[in-house]
Amino acid sequence: MRTNLIQSYLQNNTQAIQQYHSDNARRNFDVKKELTNRTFIKPLPSNGHLVRNSLFDIPSEIFKDIKYSAKALHHSIKGKANDNELGHLNDLGMKLGGLTIATYLFSRKFAPLAKSMEFVGLVSFFAAMDIWPKLALQLPAYLIHGFDIRQQYRDNYGTKKPVFQDHQFIPWDLYSDEEINKIGDRLRVPKDMKNRRDFIQEKMRKIALQNNTMWMLTAGFATPIMSALICEGLKDPIHNYQDRKLNKKANALLSNFNNEIAKYDFSQKNEALNELLENHKGQPITSELFDEISKAVSKGMDSITAGEISKDLKDVIMQKGVNISKSTFENISESLKDVLQGIPENEKKEFIPSADEIIAKLDDGKRSAIASGEVISNQTEFSSYVKALEDAFDAKINAFEQANPQNLNTERVRFMVDSMFESTNGGKSVLDKFFKSTPSSVLTDSSIQNIKEVNKTLNTFHARQRVLNKYAYLKSAQAQETYLANTWNSILDSDMLKTLGITDKDISKTRMDSNLVNNLLREKFEAIVCDDAKYNEVMDKIIEKLNFLEDRTKFAQFDKYNPDEKNPYKTYVDTTFDEAADNLKQKGMKNTARRLKGYDVPNGVDTHTLKDLQLSFVQDRVRGVKSSFYRLLNTLDFFKRVSDKEHLDSLKEYNYTDASGNLLKHVDFTRQIKEEMVEMSKQLLLGGRSSDYAVKFFFLRNPELNPDNLTDEQRRLLFSDIQTNMGKMVNEFYGKQALNQLADNPHDRIFYDSAMRLMYSDRLSDKTKNKIENSMFFKNFEQYRKELFSYLGGDEYFTKKSHKVAGGSADSTTEFRFQLLGSAVDDMFTKLFNQKFNSKTWLKMFGGFGAGLLGLTVLSQFFMGKMPKDKIVKENE
Amino acid sequence: MILPVSNFDKQNMNFMGNDSKENNLPKSDTLLKNNFSTRTRIAMDKFTKAFTVYPARGLKGSINSDFYEFLTMGTVPYVVGSLTLMSVFNSAAKHFESFGQSAAYKLGNKMALGVVFYALAKTLSKSLVNLPVKWATGIDTQLPYLKVNHQLPESKDDFDLTSYEYHKVGESVEFTRWDLLYGDPNDKRELNKRFDKIARRNGLGTNLNDSDQAVKPVYKEVLVKSSLARTMSSYLWAAAGVCLAFQKPWETYFNVATGKIWNTKDFAHSLKVFGESFIESAKEFYNPKNPKTLLEKYSGKGVIALAALATVAGVMNTLNINKKPSKVTEKDVMDKNKESVVG
Repeated sequence: MRTNLIQSYLQNNTQAIQQYHSDNARRNFDVKKELTNRTFIKPLPSNGHLVRNSLFDIPSEIFKDIKYSAKALHHSIKGKANDNELGHLNDLGMKLGGLTIATYLFSRKFAPLAKSMEFVGLVSFFAAMDIWPKLALQLPAYLIHGFDIRQQYRDNYGTKKPVFQDHQFIPWDLYSDEEINKIGDRLRVPKDMKNRRDFIQEKMRKIALQNNTMWMLTAGFATPIMSALICEGLKDPIHNYQDRKLNKKANALLSNFNNEIAKYDFSQKNEALNELLENHKGQPITSELFDEISKAVSKGMDSITAGEISKDLKDVIMQKGVNISKSTFENISESLKDVLQGIPENEKKEFIPSADEIIAKLDDGKRSAIASGEVISNQTEFSSYVKALEDAFDAKINAFEQANPQNLNTERVRFMVDSMFESTNGGKSVLDKFFKSTPSSVLTDSSIQNIKEVNKTLNTFHARQRVLNKYAYLKSAQAQETYLANTWNSILDSDMLKTLGITDKDISKTRMDSNLVNNLLREKFEAIVCDDAKYNEVMDKIIEKLNFLEDRTKFAQFDKYNPDEKNPYKTYVDTTFDEAADNLKQKGMKNTARRLKGYDVPNGVDTHTLKDLQLSFVQDRVRGVKSSFYRLLNTLDFFKRVSDKEHLDSLKEYNYTDASGNLLKHVDFTRQIKEEMVEMSKQLLLGGRSSDYAVKFFFLRNPELNPDNLTDEQRRLLFSDIQTNMGKMVNEFYGKQALNQLADNPHDRIFYDSAMRLMYSDRLSDKTKNKIENSMFFKNFEQYRKELFSYLGGDEYFTKKSHKVAGGSADSTTEFRFQLLGSAVDDMFTKLFNQKFNSKTWLKMFGGFGAGLLGLTVLSQFFMGKMPKDKIVKENE
Repeated sequence: MILPVSNFDKQNMNFMGNDSKENNLPKSDTLLKNNFSTRTRIAMDKFTKAFTVYPARGLKGSINSDFYEFLTMGTVPYVVGSLTLMSVFNSAAKHFESFGQSAAYKLGNKMALGVVFYALAKTLSKSLVNLPVKWATGIDTQLPYLKVNHQLPESKDDFDLTSYEYHKVGESVEFTRWDLLYGDPNDKRELNKRFDKIARRNGLGTNLNDSDQAVKPVYKEVLVKSSLARTMSSYLWAAAGVCLAFQKPWETYFNVATGKIWNTKDFAHSLKVFGESFIESAKEFYNPKNPKTLLEKYSGKGVIALAALATVAGVMNTLNINKKPSKVTEKDVMDKNKESVVG
């Protein structure tokens, strides 16, 4: 240390020293010269200087900081670090700990955004720690007081430190008089003040100390809030980036299909199978061995397909029946010892027939063949062998009885043997295990070859299927942040609420209950449809959003029954399943081929096959999403039609026709029915669930369809048309009765039929049609209405068998109808309301607090640096 | 005047708020016993002042406000930040609908527990370094002392401006308070007794003439290395604490958690469930059920291993002292009285 050098000099250097004038000591500092300088007995000139960095210096400063951290770490490990370096390690440790937490939480999350946000959270936390004092204290203080309260300097050793870190040791000498005076001017210190520099320094010290204290007091509030706000702000850009990345990743799976397949390694599976086959080569294929082989071949397949593979393999490699030879009877004779438990060993020998004794009881042909050492193959019928065993046993037991008439074990053995012949295990005779121990099928080279080829085909299929599954998952799985989920969230966003005129107040009032949301939406829709300009505006927004949806769901746009379809996913599915099925069929694996793609299906896709499932999965998921938004559009259109009293054909009358469509009878609806039908349709379109459609609607109506005792005026009204005002119905009948006077009419199929037509079959409003007919989705939307009308309308409900649109039935699955109906509009918006409310509440609460804190902190600058009057007087003296 | 905690001269430690005891206050810097009681009382004293006296002086711009006070005030952002972090994840949830509320509280409670575990793990884990180092080297890196400050008057009414601060002898490796480690200067045995003990423990020899000179480099090296070990390992244990708090089994505890200590039955049940959840969470943390990825399977083990490794490596590095003089036996030393030939 230099101080030691001084001491050393004072104590030891006694020789005459030449006078030396140091003009430029700082730049050309030379220890020897300094030490031999007679005038040296004063502090050494300082090499310290203020750090003044511009924006362009930031990268180099960051690099210097990293270098310093590395140096500090190295010195600490060696035990040579100084205080500043040790302090620096605290920051390093904090970052290391933060990184550990983020990495761990990252490993526990599965959605890409949630994963990324763990690291964004970490970085934003440290950023907030750094930004808050700069933004809330340093910048305002600089603007108000004219100096940097977080000014840093480099000391003689090159260590960077804050000037105002320790208020009792501020290196004022680093500020020139000119700089201090300039700051003093900004601080409005009188220019003629005596000891002006001291006064300015004291004022600066005070301001810096007060700011440091404010920093400590506010950072605890500010850092977590600011960090959370940064995360909130970054969420959307990161999400958008990840969405693009996800789509690219999914598309790359198909564009590099062959490379992707190659990534799946089946070597372990192949090795295990090969080992199994080689170890049992030439051996009989017992049921245990077969199960092992089957399990090894179908590893990774779903259980149903694995079952089909097993079934097919049995046909391919197994021969029916077993081999019977002399050794079969030797084994039987040996095994029978276990049957006669409790009988002394010497007596067992007397009771159990030998192999030759059993063979001797066989019929002539079999006896001579087996006795001469032949093997009788493919035996499936064992009664003659059992008979021979039974006879041989009888002979032995009888012989023993004659020789030992007093031995009670004879009867015991007879009972045991009878039990053995009669008992079964799992429906099979216990004797099966004796006779079926040597199956006729042997694991030959040709069987091994067949198994390996089947395995190879299945491996290729499996790898391809996994790539396709991955693609389908990324694009459309029912999971967070898939391409389809992102599409839904992009469509159902704040601008949708703005377009529909839904305010934050509306949201906070209604979000807790979907019925309240239903009423709110009804109000909003009615307000929109009565104003053409507003309606057009809403349509434009919906068209924009549905075009976007159409564009992003192209991946699922294909006709699964069309073999010439060019959609990449469909093409790869076709190739994958068709090739595998054909190969397997050639190898005799008919059941597996049928499981994969059906069997000899003309259009290439059979239902209930894996291929159908592969294709349907993406289409079904997309159908559910599209239907939800088409339903919103259809609902708005219906409200528009009612408001404009346009294209409400089914509301006016009902035509009874015969099977050929000939008109039989014509009925005009009363205004009471019309009003009820419009009301029910509005309720259903906004809030109808699958169950409402499944039970053919439950709706409380006036049971008196043609009320008597009406005045002329009332009768005129009864046959008048509906009236609307500002998009709302002006009801003369509906809602006039008390609730207990209303009832559902389960027999009125005409009401059901007409309501379905009114909602889904009557022409669209001209204003809607003109707007959407050139859109990307128009055809699909029309198809949606048509399918919903026929499949949901044609569905049979067992208590209302006649409630079918146009009298026709249409078979469909519950799942299909569910997807076709889509999400109820009120349900969809309730979820959106809650989501928006939650984030807005949070933002309002903490954003408001953060803004208030920032304001208060900035404002506090105006109260800093106040000097007592006597101090001013004193400095002037 | 800021009154201190005293724990010196074999007295029991007291908060010196009583006028009659003021005469007992030390006039100069004094070593304190490093025991649980002292540590707790110092922590309480510093904590209280960090929220009251020091901010008041700082905001006033007091001439006497120093770096110690600034550093002590570092507790404020820690505590307030922790509470704010809990609040960020919990406060808004009460306005959410039931499903949203339930989901938000699950995360919020884990976050709150994480904050508590972070602080606990960070504090407690320091002993994993301090104690082995103390046992092995005899150097108490956390030895506290009371610093007596005579301050400048700020107004005419200021006449008794003595303030007391709690420092550690080894808090600065450059300006270690060696002077406090010396004993009675009039008694040669007493003078270097602390250094003698450390020298003996570290194999530097016994009955050394100037054990302080031999010990100081070793002491300094231990201070630096143990500081590194303590810093790194404590943050990693703190991270492990947060990870532990994020385990699913804690949700069982959150359902029954209560702070109503007067409701003994519920409180006891809550403590029991806390213990069970702790064990289950620790198991889940180390060995997660049904991990979906390799990273998920091994991340918990990795965090624990990293923290344990940092602690063990840090302590071993501390105990591997380079500045010990080389061991020289008597036979290696040349006897001046004997003749010898140089060639």
